[in-house]
Amino acid sequence: MTTVLAPVAGSVVGLAAVPDPVFSEGLVGPGTAIDPAREPGKVLAPIDGTILKLHPHAYVIVGEDGRGVLVHLGIDTVQLRGEGFRLLASEGERVRAGQPVVAWNPAAIEAGGRSPVCPVVALDARPGTVSAVVTAGPVRAGDELFQWD
Amino acid sequence: MPERKVIVESEVGLHARPAATFVQTAAKAPIDVTVAKPGGAPVSAKSILSILALDVRHGEAIVIHAEGEGADQLLDELAAIVSVA
Repeated sequence: MTTVLAPVAGSVVGLAAVPDPVFSEGLVGPGTAIDPAREPGKVLAPIDGTILKLHPHAYVIVGEDGRGVLVHLGIDTVQLRGEGFRLLASEGERVRAGQPVVAWNPAAIEAGGRSPVCPVVALDARPGTVSAVVTAGPVRAGDELFQWD
Repeated sequence: MPERKVIVESEVGLHARPAATFVQTAAKAPIDVTVAKPGGAPVSAKSILSILALDVRHGEAIVIHAEGEGADQLLDELAAIVSVA
């Protein structure tokens, strides 16, 4: 079982609230989403593992068991081409759950006309294996977010 | 050996929506499907993790391979997904 931590502080809103059907329809996979607090902050690794892919706006961490978790920082933020994001780790690096990976400012993303909401997705998870620890409401960065059986 | 070499035309490469649609389509098929960069090691087309790790960018080529009943039709469908800008 994998315990997935909240990468950012904010309010848990669920994938259905993400303004991008690729996430809200669960096409990427099951999980949840956090509407982040509008203050500059560091986005954390949700699990222990290796940073498989690190983009400024999104990253995937893979645990020793091969399970990957995607953290996406805002919607359509690929268009920013890294502007407003600062990498605090590097691709291929081993990280602990709770370790900072990217620094950003959700307020600035929103001011630029994009949603800063953060989907956190269990990649290739079988149906019914993901259960919420926090279904809705406030969460602190590093709190337990969901369980992946 | 049915396979297709196609250029990924989507602006975001084989990420986000194209990646998710690609994997969903492949996962529905009862046969094995792989994707590789030309000359590279093939990965399962049914795994979003593998596809994101492959990190195919806009304008890059991929080789999609499938074996078994309905392989040609599936390859056409998959090729069409990535050929859309």
